Amino acid sequence: MMRASRAGRPLQSVFSRILTGRLSMRRQTAMLGLALVLPVVLYLLVTQAYPFISALLTSLTDKRIGAPGEFIGLGNYVDLVQDETFLHAVRNSILFTASSILLKLVFGVVMALVLNQELRFRSLWRALLFLPWTIPTIVTVLTFQWMYSATGGVINSVLLRTDLLHRPIDWLGVPLNAMAAVVIVNVWRGTPFFGISLLGALQGISREQYEAAETDGANVLQRFLYVTIPGIRDVALLVTLVSTIWTLNDFQIIWVLTRGGPADATQVFATLTYTSAFLNLDLARGIAISMASVPLLVLLIIGTARSVLRQEA
Amino acid sequence: MKIRRLTGCAVSYFLLFVMLFIALAPIYWMLVTSLKGESEIYKLVPTLWPKELTWEGYTNLVGNTGFMSWLKNSAIVALAVSAVSLFFSVLAAYGLARLRFRGRQAIGTLILVAYLLPPTLLFIPLYILITRLHLQSSMQGLIFAYPTITIPYATWVLTSYFTSISVDFEEAALIDGCSRLGALRRIVIPLSAPAIVSTFIFCFTLCWSEFLFALVILTGANSTVPVGLAGLILGDVARWNQIMAGAIITSIPVVILYTLASRYIVSGLTLGGVKG
Repeated sequence: MMRASRAGRPLQSVFSRILTGRLSMRRQTAMLGLALVLPVVLYLLVTQAYPFISALLTSLTDKRIGAPGEFIGLGNYVDLVQDETFLHAVRNSILFTASSILLKLVFGVVMALVLNQELRFRSLWRALLFLPWTIPTIVTVLTFQWMYSATGGVINSVLLRTDLLHRPIDWLGVPLNAMAAVVIVNVWRGTPFFGISLLGALQGISREQYEAAETDGANVLQRFLYVTIPGIRDVALLVTLVSTIWTLNDFQIIWVLTRGGPADATQVFATLTYTSAFLNLDLARGIAISMASVPLLVLLIIGTARSVLRQEA
Repeated sequence: MKIRRLTGCAVSYFLLFVMLFIALAPIYWMLVTSLKGESEIYKLVPTLWPKELTWEGYTNLVGNTGFMSWLKNSAIVALAVSAVSLFFSVLAAYGLARLRFRGRQAIGTLILVAYLLPPTLLFIPLYILITRLHLQSSMQGLIFAYPTITIPYATWVLTSYFTSISVDFEEAALIDGCSRLGALRRIVIPLSAPAIVSTFIFCFTLCWSEFLFALVILTGANSTVPVGLAGLILGDVARWNQIMAGAIITSIPVVILYTLASRYIVSGLTLGGVKG
């Protein structure tokens, strides 16, 4: 009782000073600022920070759905390192991410360069090329699944009819093809994000820079290397980092198209996490798999945050 | 010189048409398939243009599947989450952009990190939390989970937008005796209305397209559009005209909203980090 009232008094006086306007303007502003930010911060602590810590702890137990877990230390992680499927998933995640990002960057640069030309109806082309990024991912995935289909799939049919192909390709049933198939969908969907962002950067390069380079006798290639690339480098880096985070954690495209198959050929972190946790009901193992990507993710997030904050400044 | 320009031009148009073909062919195929009859879908050699245009895919989708209730669920969740997210994000963003207090920068960085954290990392512990709150299998569960995606995004984008607008009007209002919150309501929010509306739109589309949380949290027939549509494929049998009809209907609102807000969204996509 005593303690409560003693602690209560300064707080009370702060309130009364706010009410009577005697609290300094600066303190008042600071308190209001905190009050405005508080709901968001609390929500993120409950839904992000707490789950993260509890995930780390759960990954040290053998918890399954519907049953409490026992502490088993690093058992889950030791198991993972020796698990052929997990090692597959690590390799596949890297292969999927690296090839998707490389292709999106290259196609994105091409798209930005073309849209930066003085074309007729440029804003119409820009809007149309942006469509793959706009439509919901599930729509894209289902459409490609239908186009890849062995019966009635339009891709095989057109390739066969134009004699580019003599036998139909089994897009989703053969390991290497399946990987190519999911990369294609990711690249189709993600290229406009690169293209439009890089276009913004290109438009920031002044015409004088190109003219100066031209009077100095620089040819097309040299102008691209010494004017264009430095001009888009920061944006390209940022877009690449952000997209790497998203691609590394892609779930939907792979899950709907292949479920991680055939024979784990497209099994990545996210699909293996889901399979372990919700199909094999082994929550702790699922969490351990997703936690295994954290070190890489931390590096990427630090890199991105730095790049963003530098460009903000 | 002139010839070089002309070839450059020709190359540009050639690349443009190749890109347009790649971008639009799947969308064309989606549309065409949705207008075909079931017998035409199962032909071994597909027809590039339907022999007979029919709304069969659409009517069967609406009549024989749970599509309408998925649509309703998606709309309710997306609207509720976007509205709640925007309300709190506007307040937080104003605090971060205009009011000096200890820990402001640290909180700003935390929000950026929260935006970059992929949902796949924390969906299992979040699922456990939602189960403990007895919100699993319900729209409330999704409404609880989705702001983890929308709030960090909205707060981040709006903070950089508020920072970019001039403080002059606000200061004049404060000198005239307006309170801070009064200035936010009467000056800052009207000035940033386009940015707030487009952030709302982008939050809406994020929720509208979300797949993983909906797959994990909801069960059975109670579903949103993305998970419901994916569930229409059962083994090798899939009524692709219905599924593509669903794909078209799902895409239309998003495409319209994006087009309305695209001017502002493009800068938001790159975390507000790209100027120009």
